[in-house]
Amino acid sequence: MLRPEMAGSNDNGAGGNGREIQRVRTIIVAGQSSDRTREVLRALSGFTNVVWPTSLESALAQAGSQDAGCLVIADDLREEPIDEFLQEARELQRNLPIFVITDPDDVAEAVSAMRHGATAVIEIPPSYAALCEEVSRAMQ
Amino acid sequence: MKDLPQTVFVVDDDDAVRDSLRMLLKSAGVHAETCASAQEFLSSYDASQPGCLVLDVRMPGMSGLEMQHELNLRGVTMPVIFITGHGDIPMAVEAMQHGAFDFLQKPFRDQELLDRVQRALVRDSENRARLRHTDRIRERLASLSPREREVLDLVTQGKANKMVAGDLGVSQRTVEIHRAHVMQKMEAGSLAELVRMMMAVAPSP
Repeated sequence: MLRPEMAGSNDNGAGGNGREIQRVRTIIVAGQSSDRTREVLRALSGFTNVVWPTSLESALAQAGSQDAGCLVIADDLREEPIDEFLQEARELQRNLPIFVITDPDDVAEAVSAMRHGATAVIEIPPSYAALCEEVSRAMQ
Repeated sequence: MKDLPQTVFVVDDDDAVRDSLRMLLKSAGVHAETCASAQEFLSSYDASQPGCLVLDVRMPGMSGLEMQHELNLRGVTMPVIFITGHGDIPMAVEAMQHGAFDFLQKPFRDQELLDRVQRALVRDSENRARLRHTDRIRERLASLSPREREVLDLVTQGKANKMVAGDLGVSQRTVEIHRAHVMQKMEAGSLAELVRMMMAVAPSP
């Protein structure tokens, strides 16, 4: 079911028509409409190319596309456990940096996210700066 | 050689923790050995010994994370389960990024640790089986003559005998003979199997 969208985003930019266009890769923020997701979006407002897909399917499709720069999992996605979503995203793109935001001190959740393919887990609060740093590094 | 029993190595500076973990593992039928420090473990560890490690993060002298780093440098693939009383997310993330199998905060339930140990032991035997498999393939590769190796590389790129013959400037018949030797020495039943073997020993990106 993800195929059409993925194929669509693979079409633009990746074509070898002589001129290499500097592609702007996207920062995909996944999360339901919650305070935390909004705070993450605000923290990332210094980046130009942040997208916030409205559905799980669309978030996965964008994570799997050539244009994906990194994926930030800000919050629970409906009833879906984060680990499953993570694993799916990781299977789509082995090298995509994926950051998971968790509550402070939830070590078990952080370890589980790492086991399921997260590049790093960032606890929020306190550190939006750490998130921006990780995202900047991923986008280089 | 695959029959060495699996051992769980417990490295913790706390005598009480070592004793209770040894008892717990013993009660579950798992063979355990304990060390009071990272240095003690590193000086006595034999890489052919299968198993897993249960490693305390905070120890005087070399910490658990430092020991993990040392093991990585030595190419030790044994799964590491960290245990700690004072864990935080950055510490857990760092340990996992460096390849830890798991990271468990004290206090934990006995069964929680046993489950993870069992999973780590399964992972270790899978890792070892894979390594044995690739070692065998490398040995077979080393037994090929330079010409056979060239033929192997070309046929696994998908080239037909005729094209290989053209590339190497030899007759098609000669290629067929080399190819038969390659299949025999590599113990491959088909081209697909040969391709899979080459993928198994290719350096991962």
